[in-house]
Amino acid sequence: MASVFSGAPPAGGPGYSFKSTPTPSQASGIREHSFYPYADNGGSTLGISGADFTILAGDTRSTSGYSINTRYEPKLFKIGGEGPDHVGATLVLSVVGFAADGHALKERLDTIVKMYKYQHGKPMSVAACAQRLSHMLYGKRFFPYYVHAILGGLDEEGKGALYSYDPVGSYEREQCRAAGAAASLIMPFLDNQVNFKNQYMPGSGEGHALQQRVPEPLPRADVEALVKDAFDGAVERHIEVGDGLQTMIITKEGIEERYAPLKKD
Amino acid sequence: MIQPTGMLGEDGIHVDMDHLKKGEVNLGTSIMAINFKDGVILGADSRTTTGSYIANRVTDKLTQVHDTIWCCRSGSAADTQAVADIVQYHLGMYGVENDEAPTTQTAAALFQEICYENKDNLSAGMIIAGYDQRHGGQVYSIPLGGSLHKQTYAIGGSGSTYIYGFCDANWKEGMTEEEGIDFVKRSLQEAIKWDGSSGGVIRMVVLTAKGAQRHLYLPDNGYTGPGYK
Amino acid sequence: MGGFDFSNHNRNAALHAQGVPLPKATSTGTTIVGCIYDGGVVIAADTRATSGPIVADKNCEKLHFISPQIWCAGAGTAADTEFTTALISSNLELHSLSTGRRPRVVTVMTMLKQHLYRYQGHIGAYLVVAGCDPTGAHLFTVHAHGSTDKLPYVTMGSGSLAAMSVFETQWQRGLDREGAVKLCADAIQAGIWNDLGSGSNVDVCVITQEKTTLMRNYITPNERSKKLRNYRFQRGTTAVLNEKVMTKEDITKYVTVHELEDDKETAVAEKMDVDR
Repeated sequence: MASVFSGAPPAGGPGYSFKSTPTPSQASGIREHSFYPYADNGGSTLGISGADFTILAGDTRSTSGYSINTRYEPKLFKIGGEGPDHVGATLVLSVVGFAADGHALKERLDTIVKMYKYQHGKPMSVAACAQRLSHMLYGKRFFPYYVHAILGGLDEEGKGALYSYDPVGSYEREQCRAAGAAASLIMPFLDNQVNFKNQYMPGSGEGHALQQRVPEPLPRADVEALVKDAFDGAVERHIEVGDGLQTMIITKEGIEERYAPLKKD
Repeated sequence: MIQPTGMLGEDGIHVDMDHLKKGEVNLGTSIMAINFKDGVILGADSRTTTGSYIANRVTDKLTQVHDTIWCCRSGSAADTQAVADIVQYHLGMYGVENDEAPTTQTAAALFQEICYENKDNLSAGMIIAGYDQRHGGQVYSIPLGGSLHKQTYAIGGSGSTYIYGFCDANWKEGMTEEEGIDFVKRSLQEAIKWDGSSGGVIRMVVLTAKGAQRHLYLPDNGYTGPGYK
Repeated sequence: MGGFDFSNHNRNAALHAQGVPLPKATSTGTTIVGCIYDGGVVIAADTRATSGPIVADKNCEKLHFISPQIWCAGAGTAADTEFTTALISSNLELHSLSTGRRPRVVTVMTMLKQHLYRYQGHIGAYLVVAGCDPTGAHLFTVHAHGSTDKLPYVTMGSGSLAAMSVFETQWQRGLDREGAVKLCADAIQAGIWNDLGSGSNVDVCVITQEKTTLMRNYITPNERSKKLRNYRFQRGTTAVLNEKVMTKEDITKYVTVHELEDDKETAVAEKMDVDR
């Protein structure tokens, strides 16, 4: 696909500067033909874990170059549930980057989690699923899944659990993580508002003695508002983010899914 | 940014003439000009492209450089417009200074001078046709390298490759105006049909002792004339 | 005649050879359009400026003044459209003063194409030129390489395909002012919604023989949504590492100081749009 239709704007118009977009080559001279199997479909995701819940969110725009493929393409997937409605699922995977790889990864992980349940007669824990996902990504170390994945669920103590991954399987459990096109816009906001980075307690000392504001798990309502504000901000300044916001909230009651419109320009 | 595309092969230097600067507006064209009994006829399609996008579907590629000296432009739109503007200026000055209209040959020589001396920087393939009292109708062709050829009829642009056989088979010396128009129209119709870079309407200019007369043929009515039918 | 300064060329070429990337120019990855109607001409533009995938300016101005009755919409490299139109505007006024005549749109078009042709496309200005002069209402496009087109309706920029689809389906002969403005605004909106390089608001400029009407932010379909949370920090949240007090006398050495009355809010000429 990528080699057949580059998705590049007409040669006469102003070009754009996405590094991954193949540009029409010089009209003549020596030309090397190659197949580039990856595409960048833009978009952003973010996850925040709380005391007894985990929230994952992602915009629903899918892009290629300066074009919109669709205004509704979910980046959040329920993992391990039964049937087309994923009944009984307790895990959510979010993938951003190359959408086709994201889908392939989701399908594989979903199958694995289901097989685990059938073979062991108990659901897979988040920690186990997280490590399995890491292995799946590293298994394609030299032909990677071009995605930034975030896995959310509840751990064995019922606390919110969030794992984030690089494309080749390095992973870490975190309080919060933003990924995708607008990660660099959202992550500093999250550092400040979730982990209270660069915030000090007023009057707790002078100069360097001033004490950092201590982060504590945020209440669910606060986090939901924070997520919406983060995306509204990203939409304002990143052209690949927009159209809709898909949110999944994982609690001991199950997974609650929501949709909110975002700006469409 | 522009890389030199000339290569040194075993049999000498090859300069790639099809080279266009990145993102340039291209007249991937079908153009022609013919001699007939009373003068000359110029013809062209009307498509201008940037890559696969049609930037202008009703382009006028037949450009007047003097009262009865016109040219057909193919190649880079910017280059051919610039060249035609320069020639128009010089012929205008010539006409005023000598109190006599320039001949088609003079115009063609001017075009050649510019196209040859700047061949490294230009992608302009032009056909010059004109009518003057001394020589009657004349057709000159200046392909990419800047050479000048006087011809009874000339075809050019990317679409011309499809109609060499057609023109050769149907060409007749000393056609009437009606026959000439029909020849040009049928040739360009064929070029438009087969060449993806050519299309739109067919424009013609008939140059005779009576002056210049424009023709327009739309695809809406099978190129039978202007307007809908 | 002035010109560009190439004194850093060799240094930059050396840096580039060592792998230092070129600086990213602000590109108005844009939708601009124009349309002739009976009695005048309309041009319109979106207001988004981008630098790569980042929105550099949410409400920039892409409609440039050339002369009172001739305006220009610009796409491509922001700096190039800005300086090219300013240069031609300046030269045109001198030309007008020298000839004692009202400037013509063809003159502007010719000056632009000759300037851009000389720079062989290195000046990345893609322009829609429109205006009214003693010979009537005119509309042209000028590409960065120096080619020009004359058409009844035109579009340019990354959103030109989306905008042209509106013109090719809705344009009709004999439009009036209202119809032309609506058509141009719709074409720009097609770009705003469907082209990622275009966004925010619609600017429109209507030029007739009598007057020019610039309608800045004619349509604003992308107002920022209200934030759900309050992001004001408590006083003292930011660490103060050292403090230095400057007196008014110290400051007057560098700038002019004006006393303000207490009840007057500010003396700022233009109010900045800030979060509250």
